Amino acid sequence: MNKKLLSLLLFAFVLILTACSSDESSNGEAGGSTTSTPENQNRDLTIAIGSDMLGFDIHDHNNTSTESVHQHMFDYLFKRDSNNELQPMLAESYEIINDTTVKIALKQGVKFHNGDEFTAEDVKFTLERVAQTSSLKENANYKQIKEVQVVDTYTVNIITVAPEPSIIHRLSRLGSGMLPKKYIEENGWDHFLANPIGTGPYKFVEWVRDNKIVFEKFDDYYQGAVDEWDSVTFRIIPEDSTRVSELLTGGVDIATNVPPADWDRVNGNKGTSLKQEVSNRSIFLMLRTTDGYPTSDVRVRQAIDYAIDDRTLTDIALKGGGIPVLTTVGPGNFGHEPSLYDTHNYDLEKAKQLLANAGYPDGFEMTLQSPKGRYLMDAEVSELIVGMLSQVGIKVKLEFLEWSNFVEMRTANKNKDAYMLGLGNSMFDGAYAVDWYNAKRNVDHTDYSNSKIEELLAQSKVNMDPTTRAKQIQEIQKIAAEDLPFIYLYQEKINVGVNDRIDFTPTSDEMLYAPNMKLK
Amino acid sequence: MLKFIAKKMLEIIPVLLIISFIVFTLVFVAGDPVALMLPEDASQEDINNLREALGLNDPFIVQYGNYMLGVLQGDFGDSFRYNTAALPLVLERLPATLELAAASMVIAILIAIPFGIWSATKRNSVIDLFVTGTSVVAKAMPNFWLGIMLILIFSVTLGMFPVSGYGTWQHLILPAVTLGTGIGAEMTRLVRSNMVDILNQDYVRTAKSKGINRFFVVYKHAFRNSLIPVITITALQVSTLVGGALITETIFSWPGLGQLLIQAVNTRDMAIVQASVFVIAILVIVMNLVADMLYRVLDPRIKY
Repeated sequence: MNKKLLSLLLFAFVLILTACSSDESSNGEAGGSTTSTPENQNRDLTIAIGSDMLGFDIHDHNNTSTESVHQHMFDYLFKRDSNNELQPMLAESYEIINDTTVKIALKQGVKFHNGDEFTAEDVKFTLERVAQTSSLKENANYKQIKEVQVVDTYTVNIITVAPEPSIIHRLSRLGSGMLPKKYIEENGWDHFLANPIGTGPYKFVEWVRDNKIVFEKFDDYYQGAVDEWDSVTFRIIPEDSTRVSELLTGGVDIATNVPPADWDRVNGNKGTSLKQEVSNRSIFLMLRTTDGYPTSDVRVRQAIDYAIDDRTLTDIALKGGGIPVLTTVGPGNFGHEPSLYDTHNYDLEKAKQLLANAGYPDGFEMTLQSPKGRYLMDAEVSELIVGMLSQVGIKVKLEFLEWSNFVEMRTANKNKDAYMLGLGNSMFDGAYAVDWYNAKRNVDHTDYSNSKIEELLAQSKVNMDPTTRAKQIQEIQKIAAEDLPFIYLYQEKINVGVNDRIDFTPTSDEMLYAPNMKLK
Repeated sequence: MLKFIAKKMLEIIPVLLIISFIVFTLVFVAGDPVALMLPEDASQEDINNLREALGLNDPFIVQYGNYMLGVLQGDFGDSFRYNTAALPLVLERLPATLELAAASMVIAILIAIPFGIWSATKRNSVIDLFVTGTSVVAKAMPNFWLGIMLILIFSVTLGMFPVSGYGTWQHLILPAVTLGTGIGAEMTRLVRSNMVDILNQDYVRTAKSKGINRFFVVYKHAFRNSLIPVITITALQVSTLVGGALITETIFSWPGLGQLLIQAVNTRDMAIVQASVFVIAILVIVMNLVADMLYRVLDPRIKY
């Protein structure tokens, strides 16, 4: 009797499996896995990212991973090279005519994916749209542009509202990819968003939301078609362990944001390894300098800085995935100050002395607010800090906040003594990092204000001379390193898992640019 | 029956109204999406501008009124994140979720019916203990843990199935097993207890005493009758599956409604959250209705 039951069961199971397997022929192509033909393996690059891009409106997002996808299709006028130095891309050359005018000569013979030629009209169309439409998320970074004058087919004058020393930095980042004016005007935005074209090395093929984005190489690319890859596929895999498993099984060639717990797994696996590069994001504690808070006393802030051993944070919590710093302007950024990089203050005795001098010989109680799951090992780092501060008598009450609550705490100025934050800088211009010391920005928040910094900020904002401007930005960092409105901890590293068939080193801007990935 | 269906349909309207109000209020109270949409270094001015542009400075009642006016015309507003209408986005995801739900249900039934019957017919034996014990464990296993374990075993170690993705039947197996196991375990216990009850009924005993083949007794007499509550529960579980696929879809990067909803909640993408909950609510209501009707069809003694 039981045998009958068992055979019935098995029969039913086989029936279901056969029914399912008939799908294979019809849907076989749709899978994301690259375990098909050898040709596919050689010429199709698959990159796993944690979240989907937001859409093809290059002006209406400020998302690094979206930019990472976009830049395969849309070229900038300028681009940073591997040394983070700005080089002309679609621009041929540029000249600063006066404080508010930059003349840019464009490359000739550049084609959009539909065959149209790229001209000065496209530059005007692109930049004026983002500069003049306040509802676009990138508007704040481009409203400094007053207008773009078309001098001739291949020359434009970019006129800014006021002197704008960072203009070239702005033209080399997200929001400044060049759009096809004629194509968009003829077909409308909706059509463009569904069928985007640009001048970039790859053409759009398909976007299945939250699943994959597929590009194929553009044979008429002005720098010559990228030989390495016939197609580039971004697969969206939000779960860290799934992304790593895909890398280990060869389902993807590159996996971003590999968490420290999986580093050994990636390195220990045959055929994959972990690649690291210092990112442009630094992690720091933001302190209240408002009267009434112990942290309003600079000696207390210095004591906190001396009590935290940044090197231990990076070595233990991050397993080496960070570089201790005393500033947020890292190498490759305009105005970088080398003496404040790869170094930290740590001296427990000095910290205790400073606390005693400030009138807190037995320490005090404070609250540290920390996001959880936003930055690499953020919760572990906060917990270590609590332990370190307890050694000098500072009892820290740690408050973990889920990211949306954390953001709300910040925007509503509900911050307490200190909170942990990480900031990147897509401009690669130190001016944007030091602008955080601007007193106006800190009203009712940290209430930090320093007259010398204010003066230097005002000067550097309109200074078109790069040499003196860099010095001003460096000077601001040195003052802040003493006055400590923020306590810098470390610069995070980017952790990317890479298949050994590919030669790729991540870049500090967190971009995943297929033309930079070579077959070994 | 028609009167019953019509009555049920009319009941849907107030239910949906209440749901929409609750979801709107919860999302409203949950906080401000604008700060999440802008980068960390956004200024207060940028935040205010965007909030104004999105109409978020209006009072609650104005925002709710505008929202309901749209809903009545089938417009659930635009997703903040994707800048596109929310409802089509949600509907676009529905087939993938339904596909996963259906496959999970098949797996759940494949587990539940044979094991439930087997266990019931061997009541109080080692087999019974094993099946009931395993089903308790299976029910208790969290989906994310089971999913990751299945990936490690069947994809990474054995290489039998792709780790994640969507499109072929191979992609479907692991997420369906993950989602179907817990439900299958629960249904196993239900099938078992129903069967035990029925096997003790007089008519079964009579059939047995008449010397009728045991297999025939179990399948012809007992099994069919024990199916009624099982089918009802199955219909109800389908709706649970649709809503409950959240974690499984994220683990296997299955591009369904669950993954969309999780991301929308994380980024406070109100329109998506509202449209998703609305669609899930309709599914639940419809499945309840189907369950009620099936019950009626299977057991003619039930009157409405």
